[in-house]
Amino acid sequence: MRLTQVLTSAPNRANKRRPQREPVPFQMLLPLELRKFVSGKGDKLKEAACMQEMAVMFACFKKSEFDQQQCLKEVSAFQTCYNDYNERMKLQREQGRKGILVPGEKNLTHRQLNQLLKQFPPKK
Amino acid sequence: MNTLRILPKYCCKKTQRFCRLPVSQNRFYARPTSFPDFFQNPVFRKEDQAKLVETTDLSKLAAVPVKPPAVYETCSAYHDPLVNKVINHVMEMGKKQLARSLVEKAFENIKRIQIERYHLASTAEEKNKIELNPKKVLHLAIENSKPLLQLSPIKRGGITYQVPGPITEKRSLFLAIKWLLEATNEKERTIHFPEQFAWELLDAANNTGKVVKKKQDLHRQCEANRAYAHYRWQ
Repeated sequence: MRLTQVLTSAPNRANKRRPQREPVPFQMLLPLELRKFVSGKGDKLKEAACMQEMAVMFACFKKSEFDQQQCLKEVSAFQTCYNDYNERMKLQREQGRKGILVPGEKNLTHRQLNQLLKQFPPKK
Repeated sequence: MNTLRILPKYCCKKTQRFCRLPVSQNRFYARPTSFPDFFQNPVFRKEDQAKLVETTDLSKLAAVPVKPPAVYETCSAYHDPLVNKVINHVMEMGKKQLARSLVEKAFENIKRIQIERYHLASTAEEKNKIELNPKKVLHLAIENSKPLLQLSPIKRGGITYQVPGPITEKRSLFLAIKWLLEATNEKERTIHFPEQFAWELLDAANNTGKVVKKKQDLHRQCEANRAYAHYRWQ
């Protein structure tokens, strides 16, 4: 067995491919600070609207064999829920698109947040 | 908004200025019209005009140009937007006069059937129950055949699920009218449209018949697929 070649060609101290030795020194490749904007990815709603109302309506439908006349209360609850949801989303979208800031609003869209960050840039 | 693109240059500048009007009300035309986008739709019904005066939107509307009303847009007491809509759905190849005559003939048939029933009814209580106004019958029929839910196909993991969800008011109205007309056109060749349409309307107004059955079938299917409801995202 000839080991000579293996031993001589193994990465030595000068070789960049040698295994790193602990402790590994830290190198700062990017400045250590947050960006001055947020992306809009997290704004998508995960949950479907009016699930609860729909479930209640289905239960009533099943009980009354799909006769709508007997479930008027549940049906109207479902429809008002959907209409409210639509109204809310429309308003939010409009304000979000313009980046209008509503005082006291807790749930901000990414555009609103960016507007805020632009007005009050993070200090270094 | 689709009218915007075909405009001459001098209009476009104006359009941009007027685009953000709070009272903007656009009819969606299939084709571009000769009116620029900032022209407002006419308010031709007296109730709507009264509402405008109350909400003080009138001053905003008074300052902008308004389109002339179309032939069918009248302040007459007989004007009914829903009837107009149904006539437009019945219409084929732009033959509006024919469509109108067909719908009116159907109304006449409803009136005849209901008056016959009215005279056959023995007690005053039964007579009170019979709706003699064909337009009210139409409103009731469409209200009864409007679906509350819809199934939308959503692909998850290579399988397309039929996911139940709420339906918009506009789509619901469209489906109701479409189903009524589909049920009407499913007839013998010898039976004429107005006759069959009258029967379908009376059936639907009575909460029976093909169209109401179709609506309930859709609801049943939605109920069967309710396990997938959380796949819907908004």
